[in-house]
Amino acid sequence: MRIKEIINDLQDYYLLAMRGLAGVAGRPFYFKDTIEQMDYAGAGSFFIIVLVALFIGMALSLQLSAEFGRLGLKMYTGKAVGITIIREIGPVMAALVFTGRVGAGMASELGSMVLGHQVDSLRVFGVDPVRKLVTPRLISAIIMLPLLTIIGDALSVFGAYYIVVFVSNQSGYVYWRSIRDVLIAENIIAGSVKPFIFGFLIASISCYSGLMTRGGSAGLRQATTNAVVLSIIAIIISDFALTRILLYILGFSV
Amino acid sequence: MIIFDHVTFSYSKRIVLRDLSLSISDNERVAILGGSGEGKTTILKLILGLLRPDSGRIMVDGEDITTKTESELRDVRMKFSIVFQEGALFDSLNVKENVAFCLREYGKLSEEELDRRVRELLRVVGVEHALELMPDELSGGMHRRVAIARSLAACDPGMFLYDEPTSGLDPVNADTICRLITDLSRDNKGFIIVTHKMYDAMRVAGRFIFLKEGTVVFDGNREMLEQATVPEIEIFCRELRGIC
Repeated sequence: MRIKEIINDLQDYYLLAMRGLAGVAGRPFYFKDTIEQMDYAGAGSFFIIVLVALFIGMALSLQLSAEFGRLGLKMYTGKAVGITIIREIGPVMAALVFTGRVGAGMASELGSMVLGHQVDSLRVFGVDPVRKLVTPRLISAIIMLPLLTIIGDALSVFGAYYIVVFVSNQSGYVYWRSIRDVLIAENIIAGSVKPFIFGFLIASISCYSGLMTRGGSAGLRQATTNAVVLSIIAIIISDFALTRILLYILGFSV
Repeated sequence: MIIFDHVTFSYSKRIVLRDLSLSISDNERVAILGGSGEGKTTILKLILGLLRPDSGRIMVDGEDITTKTESELRDVRMKFSIVFQEGALFDSLNVKENVAFCLREYGKLSEEELDRRVRELLRVVGVEHALELMPDELSGGMHRRVAIARSLAACDPGMFLYDEPTSGLDPVNADTICRLITDLSRDNKGFIIVTHKMYDAMRVAGRFIFLKEGTVVFDGNREMLEQATVPEIEIFCRELRGIC
């Protein structure tokens, strides 16, 4: 019985996500709602992404400098930091922060709209809730998460620079040359494809959880928890799958 | 004309309506009474096609709405004006934008015409001064009145549906809402009011349907209701006598 419910949920999720995406093409398109969501997801997440990225970059650089120092390979710190941030940590870190702030917000907002009969009101007024509520959130996440990831990557690299130069006493010139060396098409593609997928997953899972809210405040708490937990699981699993696929496509041997 | 033909409905494993049959004419003033969780709100949602029954048919003006798609249901929904429990105003929009919501959606009105129409509707329900307020700045009574104005903006309904319109309101606000409900049905327009407040139901309705365990245990007028021997109805009426 439980398996049947899971399959039903997956089917409903898939249909909602596809209908949400299809809403981009058809009419009516809720442009104002989309801009509002982009502001909430993008501008609203800017400060926390900057803060987290800066400290992640510094912590990563500390760890690598300490380890490479023991091996006499300190000059590789920049390269290791660059590759790790651009290809792996940057997109995942931004996605996890985005989940905590934006995904949870989407689920709780839609959940309270369901419980307050606002979604029913939309349907009664002849407005498709998927077009009105889901599509703008999907678009905003798919556009804003990659932008936030780029900003986060840049801040992490700057954070790492501070540690490398002022704490580990390495050459800033060598560091920036290493960063420039890792900014090749393969690495940039490997790091920039992920946020689009993560954005789609976070928004679609969060909207689905919110719209499926049942049972008062306890149901709302459950919906928000589900949105965050399922989004995190989806990010981690899809990150592994995407990394494997992208390494293969881009010709890296493992 | 609304007809429920042997309708059964359940949420997951809990059966809410059991083989329920009833019919309501367009110009009737009906109160659906019953305890919490007896399926009163579910009936309104079924009429609008927001929920689908497990079995049975629901006919609106001769059309079976249980087989209709979401887009086909739009025409059915335009025949009704519903005020949900607590009003269900969009909390990110102010009063003006809430009332203007449908006018914009279907929108051929200029901003000037739209503003005039919104003010007119708010005047009808007596809250024209609340134009710029947000829903969380409104009192319970104002909330319901704005919700009524918004539902009037959606269409020219043949029938009104009210889900617990006076619950949680003080007697003065409840009285205002009851008067508004009566006023709006003056043009021989019917309504269905779902409530557990017998006093309010008695004030506005002419026909009373009492639900218990998903079935109709009483269907009749005020005199018949007062003579009914169903224990739950007697409790409801006792409360009424206490008020009177």
